[in-house]
Amino acid sequence: MEKEKLEGLLIDYIDNNLNAVDRHMIEQELLQNADARRLYEELKEVIQAMEQSAPLLPSSMLRKNFDKVLNEEITASSRRRTIFFQPAFYRVAAAVALMILSGAIGFWINKNNEQQNRLAAIEKEMEATRKQLADTKQMMLGLLDNDQSASQRIKGVNVAMEFSNADDEIVKVLLETLQSDPNTNVRLAALDALAKFKQDPVVRKGLIDALSKQRDPMVQITLIQLMVEMKEKGVVKNLQQIVDDVSTIQAVKDEAYSGILKLS
Amino acid sequence: MKKTNLILVVAVMLTGFVQAQEYKIAKNTGRLELNVGRVTVEGHEGNDIIFSSKNGKSEKDGRAEGLRIVNSLGLDDNTGLGINVTDKGNVVEVFQLKKTHSPDIKVLVPKGVIVSFKHESQYGREARFRNLTNEIEVSALYNSVELENVTGPLTIETTYGHVVANFNSNIKDPVSIVSIYGFIDVTIPQATKANLKLSTSYGDIFVAPEFDIQMASKEGMRVYSDKISGTINGGGINMDLNCNYGKIYLRKK
Repeated sequence: MEKEKLEGLLIDYIDNNLNAVDRHMIEQELLQNADARRLYEELKEVIQAMEQSAPLLPSSMLRKNFDKVLNEEITASSRRRTIFFQPAFYRVAAAVALMILSGAIGFWINKNNEQQNRLAAIEKEMEATRKQLADTKQMMLGLLDNDQSASQRIKGVNVAMEFSNADDEIVKVLLETLQSDPNTNVRLAALDALAKFKQDPVVRKGLIDALSKQRDPMVQITLIQLMVEMKEKGVVKNLQQIVDDVSTIQAVKDEAYSGILKLS
Repeated sequence: MKKTNLILVVAVMLTGFVQAQEYKIAKNTGRLELNVGRVTVEGHEGNDIIFSSKNGKSEKDGRAEGLRIVNSLGLDDNTGLGINVTDKGNVVEVFQLKKTHSPDIKVLVPKGVIVSFKHESQYGREARFRNLTNEIEVSALYNSVELENVTGPLTIETTYGHVVANFNSNIKDPVSIVSIYGFIDVTIPQATKANLKLSTSYGDIFVAPEFDIQMASKEGMRVYSDKISGTINGGGINMDLNCNYGKIYLRKK
């Protein structure tokens, strides 16, 4: 058996910490091996010596000195504590002041946070509105793009009716629809939507332009009525052209005459 | 019972005789563009667009033997019904071949097909639409338009003709009907939820008393005029009826 391992087992054997198997094995080893026996004797001696040595205690003089110093220190520190905020009243006042101060700081931080939260909420709301507007616009353009179904295009125009303010893109698309959509009902719906934004100078100009280009009787009639409602005196010349045009149907001519009378 | 059966058989035979010819085209989506003077369009459950003529067979012209009839559009009668039908993929185009004579065509259309009718000459007659849940577009100058048991969406425009529309209960948005000289007579279920725009420049507007129109307020002031804008039953589908000289009638079904 290796020496280190034997040593460990022997120490345990001396301390009586071994299980039955190990103990039996060590006893066999001690009977057969003289070296092991010698090592056993040495170890036993050392362990016994360690157990018999008295515990080390500080001398009584050292202890006395330490107690003295400790006592002095305790008196000194308790004396210093009593100087601080001597009457109890001051201590209470200080505590109250501290409470008020911490409360104020807390309130201020809280308020600041609240304001920031509110700002963030408003920001978020605006972002959502912007996104919604963009989505709605996208939907409108998508519907207007459907060349198979006039009703889908009318739906697209009706989406535009829901905007309270028209941006340039919407106005442009509506004016294009008014001018070039193949379906009369869609063109009329676009005109209806544009009439809602008639105060917008771009819309106003677009409508005046459309009056001289439009060949669809129902759209012409509605446009002339709108021009009269807007008191757009500049279009009298365009109305005269409509009257003079031989291809204009009677109903449109009548409306144009009536427009000329009302505007001049 | 026997008598009824006999009548039925005779009726079927007669129908068979009158609608001797039929032309089918397999299509249940896309647009059907009818450029004819008169037509009756009906909805059906099948997947084919089926054309037939109510006119009897025209007398055979012996002199035309071996020749083909042509028209200014370069189209020929590929159906034997006096019309030319061309399938252009997404669109099926139908043209009549003579300017002044519109054959009495009946068309059965599947549900998914958008029906468009367009005619400009004064030689046309009514355009009739029955039992259709399809989208219908009409653009006409002289034709009157009659719609029976339809749902929309509708975009109807005629300059001199009138429009009569009788709606089924499931009306689909939008409905836009325009006539300059003709009247517009519309019947809808009482429970219809709609945003109404009724306007006539020189005619009158008549509305069934059952419809309580909530007028849209305009800057706090209520404007009574010949342009009504308001809702019934809380609003819903957009219904736009627009006349210039004609009258508008809105009836309860």
